[in-house]
Amino acid sequence: MADVESIRNWLIKIAPRITKAVIKGFLWFLLLYMVPMLILSMVSAPIDFFQEYTTYIGVFAAIAVFFVVIAELLSKTVFQHACNIAKALVMMVFFVHALNGGFLTVNFETIRISVDLRVYLAMLLAISFLGLAKSALQTLNFLSEKITDDKLPTH
Amino acid sequence: MKQAIRALSVATTALWILIVLFSVTSIYSALKLGFGFERTEVSASDDVLTVSMSFFFDNGGLYDISNLNVTTDLNNHDGTRISNSTTLVPLISRGSRVERAHNISISMDDIVTGDLTDLLFQDSVLDIAMYVSLKYAHAIPLQLSFNTTIPWGAPLANLSIGEITTIDIDPAHLQKTVPISFENHSFFALNGTVRLELVDRDQSVGAGTVNISVPPMTPCSTQVEVVVRRNAAVPTKARIYFETAAFSFGPVVMPLG
Repeated sequence: MADVESIRNWLIKIAPRITKAVIKGFLWFLLLYMVPMLILSMVSAPIDFFQEYTTYIGVFAAIAVFFVVIAELLSKTVFQHACNIAKALVMMVFFVHALNGGFLTVNFETIRISVDLRVYLAMLLAISFLGLAKSALQTLNFLSEKITDDKLPTH
Repeated sequence: MKQAIRALSVATTALWILIVLFSVTSIYSALKLGFGFERTEVSASDDVLTVSMSFFFDNGGLYDISNLNVTTDLNNHDGTRISNSTTLVPLISRGSRVERAHNISISMDDIVTGDLTDLLFQDSVLDIAMYVSLKYAHAIPLQLSFNTTIPWGAPLANLSIGEITTIDIDPAHLQKTVPISFENHSFFALNGTVRLELVDRDQSVGAGTVNISVPPMTPCSTQVEVVVRRNAAVPTKARIYFETAAFSFGPVVMPLG
C-alpha cells in the first residue's frame, strides 16, 4: 500500500518534467528538422543530390532533441550539466564527421564539386567549445551552491 | 560566475543565430548563381590555334565571389600535355554578371616538334579536364572539376602520293606531275603552300610548290609540278613540306613507286 502511494507521489512529481521534456523535444524537432527541410524545399534545393547531407540534418536534430529531453528530465540535478557537457562533446565529433574535417565532395555524373568548409567548421566548433565552457561553469556553480546550501544552518 | 555563464549563453546564442543566418543565406545565394559557356570560336595564327570559349557568371546571390579561376588541361590520350590555359576573374560582386572568354591555346610548334606529330596524320581523342575554382563570400573556397574527351581531327589525314606522270617540256628537261591528296579532318582551315621535293639517294633532283586552301572537314587533291633534268636519276622518295597559317611541318618523307 505504501509502495503504491510512493509510486503515485513519484509520478505526480515526475509528470510535469516528462510533459515539459516532451513539449521541448517536439519544439526543438520542429526547429531543427522541420524548419530546415521546409526552407530547403522552399528554395528548390536539389535535395535528392544531397541525400547524405539531408540525413545529417536528421541526425543533428535527433542528437539535439535527445539531449534536450534528457537534460529536462534530469533538471535541477548535477546530471543535467553533465548531460550538457556530453552534448557539446558529441556535437563536436558530429560536426567534424558530418563536414568530413571541413572538406566536402559531391559528384554529379562527371562533375565533381569540392567545398572547403574549414571556416564554417571552425565556427561550429567555437560554438561547441563555448557550450562546453558554459556547461562546465554551470556544473561548478551548481556544486558550489549545493555545498553552500548544505552548510547553511537550519532553523 | 553567474555573469560569466550568462555572457557565454549570450555569445553562444548570438553565434548560433549568425551561423544559421549565414547557412540559410549561403544556400539561397548558391541557388541564384548561374554559370555557362555561350559560344566557341576557333582561330589560327602564328602557329598557335586558339579555341576561345565565351562564358558568363551570373552572381544573383547575396555574397561576392572572388578569385574565379577557370583552368583547362588538354592532354593526348597517352597523357602527353598539349595545352594548359587559365582565365582569372578577380571579383564578381553580388548582383552582377561577368562575361569573359577562356582561351585554350594549342601551340602547333609543340605538336610538330614534339611527340605529337601523329596528331597531324591520325584522328585521335583528346582528354580535357576543366577546373573552375572560386572563393564564395570571401570565406568558402569551392572547386568544380569536369573531365571529358573530345575528338581530334587530323589536318593531314590519309596523306598519299598518286601515280606520277611525266611529260617532255624541252630537250633538256622533263616535267613530273605528282598528285598529292589528304583530308583535313581538323576544325581549322589549311591555307598556305605545299612544297614537294623529289629525291634520289638524299640528292634533290627537283622541287615544286603549290598553293592550297582547304576548309575544315574537307578532302584536298592537288598536283605539284616538278621540273627535273632529263639526265637526272629516277627519284625514289618525295619530301613534302607544309607551310600554312596554322603550322609549318616537314619534311614528310614518302617512298615513290
